[in-house]
Amino acid sequence: MPVLHTERLTKQFGSGSTAVTALNNVNISIEPGEFVAIMGPSGCGKSTLLHLLGGLDRATSGRVLLEGTDISRLDDGALSLLRRRKIGFVFQFFNLIPVLTAQENVALPLMLDGRQKEAVRLAREWLGRVGLAERAESRPEQLSGGEQQRVAIARALIADPAILLADEPTGNLDSRAADDLLQVLRRSADDWGRTVVMVTHDARMAAYADRIVFMRDGTIVDDAPLGPRATVDEIAERAGSGR
Amino acid sequence: MTFQPVARPKVERGPVQRALLALLSDQPRHGYELRHLFEATLASHWELNSGQIYSSLERLARDGLVVEASIEKAGGPDRRLWAITDQGRAELLSWFRSAVPRDYRLRDELYVKLMLAIATRVEEPQEVVQVQRRELFRELHQHTAARNRCDPRGELPRILLLDSAIMHTEAELRWLDMVESRLQLLTQRPAPPLQPRPRGRPKKAAGDQPTAFSPATRRIEQSDGETG
Repeated sequence: MPVLHTERLTKQFGSGSTAVTALNNVNISIEPGEFVAIMGPSGCGKSTLLHLLGGLDRATSGRVLLEGTDISRLDDGALSLLRRRKIGFVFQFFNLIPVLTAQENVALPLMLDGRQKEAVRLAREWLGRVGLAERAESRPEQLSGGEQQRVAIARALIADPAILLADEPTGNLDSRAADDLLQVLRRSADDWGRTVVMVTHDARMAAYADRIVFMRDGTIVDDAPLGPRATVDEIAERAGSGR
Repeated sequence: MTFQPVARPKVERGPVQRALLALLSDQPRHGYELRHLFEATLASHWELNSGQIYSSLERLARDGLVVEASIEKAGGPDRRLWAITDQGRAELLSWFRSAVPRDYRLRDELYVKLMLAIATRVEEPQEVVQVQRRELFRELHQHTAARNRCDPRGELPRILLLDSAIMHTEAELRWLDMVESRLQLLTQRPAPPLQPRPRGRPKKAAGDQPTAFSPATRRIEQSDGETG
């Protein structure tokens, strides 16, 4: 079963004569363990698509199915819960809380979910996985952009979501830090079994993915595999090893 | 030391011949040594077979840039020792001291294909762009994966080579984005005339001065030739 699936997904902003159709009947299917990049010129709808996939916004028409559940039918409370459990987000601007240390930032989602007991232990584990074990006590201002973004990924993954959504995660990083970050995203898929969907305008970053979806004017115009497609067994194995 | 650029050697030689000359610059060597050194120096997974080595050495010898220093008995393995000559050394230096020509793709097949797609519509220009874009992304993916598998301490030359491929592929993708954003304008250009101009020198109209940049009134001198 695809982990993410849309049917005739449409999003309109505004109404009447000033309405803008950001997404126009988009159909996309993403399998567990895939690393997908979504590219296209400014205004093509890629960020809108990502927001709808993650339940951050509601469609005008059409459906989004997350692990088979139609999220367009959920009320705000249920949607919020589903998001917290199933999806991790990474944005272009790191959105870390300045007064908290790296470890406290990573632990936050579990603290808010009533899982204080495991929060510290898991935060340490995830910081270790993204290569920042020694920076646990640093505040965001003491970290480089690349390090902050890695903290953001650890925070996104601590609640063990199946899906990681990233919106221009390297937009604010120099090319060395960007490559390092993409390697962490690659590990999220290869070693930790997540499905990764990344919006980017940077070709070099998109090339890390297994598949690129090209958008223009609110529709998908091409959908291309980049490397040898992993077999179903490999993907299943990856999905099993990280959880 | 003030740097004086020098003219590139007149005879065009491929990179294999150039490399062999350079590898002979400090001492004479056997063919098998040269093969090993070539592969080790370039670290680019470029393998040569003996046929390529010896035909290159023989070409260099014919041109007076290397000589055979000794020959072992015929019928045994090729134990010829090769040495660089003074002429070879001079040509080697002028190669190192001159710039490598880059033609900046002025006769590039992709450019030709795009212009023809626009003019003839055998295929939609958008499709030509997307086909190329897909392939470039595939290559970018392979090169990036290969680069990330390299050991940064032991394989730096290979990393540099892959970086070159990555950066050039990225540049080509950016160019395709530019082409795509201007396809509207490109397709609105007046179509080139598909009928050949009548032969013979056209009559000059009074006051009509031809310039290089006025295509509408451009005269073709007969000496240009009209074969298309």
